[in-house]
Amino acid sequence: MMRWGRGGSLRHSRLQVVLAVAAIATAVALPVVLVSVGGGVSSHELANLQNAGYQIVVSAGGVHGITHAHGYTDQLLGLQGVTAASPVLSITIDAFSTSGSVAPVLAEGVIPGQFAPTLGPAEAGLFPKPIVLGDPTDSIHFANGTYAGPATYDVLVSSPFANQYHVAQGSRVILSPVANRTLGTTYNVTGTFGVPPSVLGPTGAFAVLLPLSDLQAMTGLAGGSSVAPDAADTIQVSVAGSVATNPGALDNLRGEVQSLFPYYGVSSLTQEAQQLEAASGVLTGFYLALSSVGLTVGLLFLALVLLRRVEADRRSIGIRRALGVPSGSIAGEIVGGGALLASIGAAAGVAAGYLIVEALAKWASSAVQEAAQLAVFDPVLLGELVAAVIALSLLASGVATRAALRTEITEALR
Amino acid sequence: MSGIAVPSIELTRVVRTYGAGSPDEVRALRGVDLTIPPGEFVSVAGPSGCGKTTLLNLLGLLDSPNSGEIRWNGQAVGDRSDRARARLRLEGVGFIFQRFYLLPTLTARENVELPMRALRVPRNDRSRRAARLLEEVGLQGREKAFPHQLSGGEEQRVAVARALANQPGLLLADEPTGELDSGNAQAILSLLERVRRDRDATLVVVTHNPEVARRAERHITMRDGVVTEDVREA
Repeated sequence: MMRWGRGGSLRHSRLQVVLAVAAIATAVALPVVLVSVGGGVSSHELANLQNAGYQIVVSAGGVHGITHAHGYTDQLLGLQGVTAASPVLSITIDAFSTSGSVAPVLAEGVIPGQFAPTLGPAEAGLFPKPIVLGDPTDSIHFANGTYAGPATYDVLVSSPFANQYHVAQGSRVILSPVANRTLGTTYNVTGTFGVPPSVLGPTGAFAVLLPLSDLQAMTGLAGGSSVAPDAADTIQVSVAGSVATNPGALDNLRGEVQSLFPYYGVSSLTQEAQQLEAASGVLTGFYLALSSVGLTVGLLFLALVLLRRVEADRRSIGIRRALGVPSGSIAGEIVGGGALLASIGAAAGVAAGYLIVEALAKWASSAVQEAAQLAVFDPVLLGELVAAVIALSLLASGVATRAALRTEITEALR
Repeated sequence: MSGIAVPSIELTRVVRTYGAGSPDEVRALRGVDLTIPPGEFVSVAGPSGCGKTTLLNLLGLLDSPNSGEIRWNGQAVGDRSDRARARLRLEGVGFIFQRFYLLPTLTARENVELPMRALRVPRNDRSRRAARLLEEVGLQGREKAFPHQLSGGEEQRVAVARALANQPGLLLADEPTGELDSGNAQAILSLLERVRRDRDATLVVVTHNPEVARRAERHITMRDGVVTEDVREA
């Protein structure tokens, strides 16, 4: 490789090289961070989805869009291959501890006996076994849609809430749909549960789990046997192993569920996983497209530096050509020099991206930190990125070389 | 070392015009006919701008004529591809430029090694030969100096050593002693003459120095792009 000129021009050239490498490194670090963190989060969510205990989910748009949740659950349980169907109603209410403290909590109403089988292995480990919430069928209080039966008044509270407000099994809390303790109902704490880590959604660290009909009655989302709503957000459906492992059978069952509820959305986790993967691919492409702006700037800078080097070395190149040094050899030096700069810049960029992600994982604020901790460095993608940078630098070097070798020797020597 | 025999050179009605058709058109050579047999020592003189350097560039295949022919040993070489002409230059021509044209980023020895590297001479051989050539031009101990650390005379001597690196059959020198004191000039001229004798190489020197011209066996004078005088010593 050609060495640099003397004195001030040497320092100037070195500065150009350092800046070119820094530009490439910055341009490469950006996609490394975006793609590794974005890909990591997507993979994590995909893994969560694939580890869920349920395979089909019924959902509706709007607030608590599913009505007649108990009745529909019974219908779902009547389908062959369905092993559990768990309606879930999620709503924020206020929880008052006996010491008088109040906190908003995410309340989830479930049918206890149906809820447990729809939990995935990781999530199931967060809950006590068995889940003690009075009547496992939730049919006593529901009383065939009349809500005339006695409520259980049992509740499980999340560990963060329990720790914050010194609540334990056997304690009592007052749950109210409004911020008024006197309008609340006293519940017995029958246990605590852990909170799964989540990056994309709210963590819901302060949460309670109670029977569906209790929550419906408390929040006014109950209604009579023939009156909407008997509300839920979703109904999660677990299927037998033979169906879960057979995509065709799962799709058939999804179709049966859809035909039962043509007005609700019905999707299988396979579909959701495919959609998530597709979305993840689109996001990765978007990140790369976004990064390509920086990458383009970096490569343009490199091309500029190479062209300036060639211009500065015009006479030296002319001398070599005059002496009979083959053009291919001269071109090899210029192109090799460009590729070397790009390789150093790309390697520095990958290293910088890695260090940035590591730093974010250690010192960033909570959500960013969690995302950074999930980062995945895909060697194939990183390799492709580096290869693309080198290829583009070869192109830029090629342009510079062409310019250098097109000049007449006698012109270059002037 | 060199794969090219010392050439017999023929120029036939060679014309070289720069910027043809433009207002700045310069007719550097206007139909030069010239034959230089192998081993001849030729001096070329004439006023500035008369076409001496252009003639030297064409003889060394650095440039191509607009019309006319350049033949080496009867073979037309003036219109060969850049690559072929580069190979002929590398193997057969040694240039000593008026302004030295040393590569500023290479040491004296590396500059001398450059043509040998291009010819893929093994490292040890070229290192040894470069050291010997630098010694012959009186630069022993200065091998690791960069051009900017050398005086004008020393730079010229490095340029001479570089021109001799591949033992060319044709040596072309543009004012080779212009930057040298008389002692060094004599030494360089003696070296060039010895090389010419040893290899029966052809030496063409553009010079204003009567002492240099006096040593030549043939004297060419140019004016306005044409050869006006061509005299052989008896």
